[in-house]
Amino acid sequence: MATPAALATTRIRFRRDAARLTPGQARDVRAAYAGMLALRDADERSYGHFAGLHGLPLPFECQHGTPLFLPWHRAFLYSFERAMRDRVPDATLPWWNWATPDPEVGSIPSLYAEAKSADGANPLFSVPVSEQALQEGVASGRPAPGSSTIRDPGVGGRQLPRDTEVAQLIEIRDFQSFNDALEELHGQVHVWTGGHMGAIPWSGFDPVFWAHHSMVDRLWRLWQMRHGTPGPPQEIWNQALPPFPMTVSQTLDVTLLGYDYASSTASQAIG
Amino acid sequence: MERFVSNPLALPPHADGYAWSDAQLVVYGVDHSGPSHEVRVFLDAPDADATTPLLLEAGYAGCFTVFGHGGCYGDDDHCNPNARFNDEYDLRLPHQSQPQTKVVGVSEALRAIQGDSVLVTLVAVEPGPEGGPKVSDAFRADELRLVTYAAPGDANPPKA
Repeated sequence: MATPAALATTRIRFRRDAARLTPGQARDVRAAYAGMLALRDADERSYGHFAGLHGLPLPFECQHGTPLFLPWHRAFLYSFERAMRDRVPDATLPWWNWATPDPEVGSIPSLYAEAKSADGANPLFSVPVSEQALQEGVASGRPAPGSSTIRDPGVGGRQLPRDTEVAQLIEIRDFQSFNDALEELHGQVHVWTGGHMGAIPWSGFDPVFWAHHSMVDRLWRLWQMRHGTPGPPQEIWNQALPPFPMTVSQTLDVTLLGYDYASSTASQAIG
Repeated sequence: MERFVSNPLALPPHADGYAWSDAQLVVYGVDHSGPSHEVRVFLDAPDADATTPLLLEAGYAGCFTVFGHGGCYGDDDHCNPNARFNDEYDLRLPHQSQPQTKVVGVSEALRAIQGDSVLVTLVAVEPGPEGGPKVSDAFRADELRLVTYAAPGDANPPKA
């Protein structure tokens, strides 16, 4: 699937590798998160609002184990990134390239792993879980791992996916098989990261959640480019993706959502 | 359950060479309403547990991950997909707790198996107190099925 440049009236933005951001790009991401975190959870533009859509507070809106897994999460990230850009117009979601040649040395990008940044406390390291989510966890007898997000990467003998697995994944021709295999790798990364990321109710609160799912979304985009087909069966193209005002068909082409994934870009003004 | 050991599952005949090119273990009805865990698959290793090395020589064939809901946070039957009334006019999205199907590629491990049947052992693990894996009782499923696939070129040659 080539970029339909003829349809683009506004330049698309590029989501970039979290390990290769310029200092300015990293600053924009941190500032966008900080801006969303500064809003009350009841405000639908807030970080707490978006984080809570995935799990707690009820209802859980996320889709797993169905053909809607990729479209729903693409709509989720799209909506979150729009909210980021309401705070910082140039901010884009980075992707965490968790595919590693050696699972023993896989790690979380420093952008998210370091408690301090050049600007002070790093809002990509740990954030508070919304009060309502915490209360619902306590009320059900299943409290959160902490009132602010934590991680336990690699504990329990878990491993990150190998780069060879990801290369094989892209070669899978059948969409459903690709979808299932990608969701499996996605689950491995959630469980490898541990802490709040390791369970559906809390995972959306971890700042690295969004970089992880950007990688998942990127792999779908790469699969689409490799095979020249959007993927999901046409029977579900008109399916709505609540709570987002989008259908599956509106998620099939990232360039029509105004973004793409780049390993690098270079540009120069003309004239 | 913590561990599951299958009865012997029949394999395609070996006598004329391998009659398949790809093998998968399909696990149906996997419950994901509880805690997240990993399920390790071993072939002909009925004593496998959380400490068994993840090596082909130990019978290790692969694994799948259950990214779990961590329990129910609602009222009675909130996480029970069978408590819903469904008919052809139901436009809602699938129930969040609808059991899942997991597929594990086991071709390499199955090629190492001699004989005409194989035992499948499933071991569910989660992080233990020392940071290593410990057996988990979070795993629930309905059925497993060992499936082999043959491409036209994989067909057994006719017997002389």
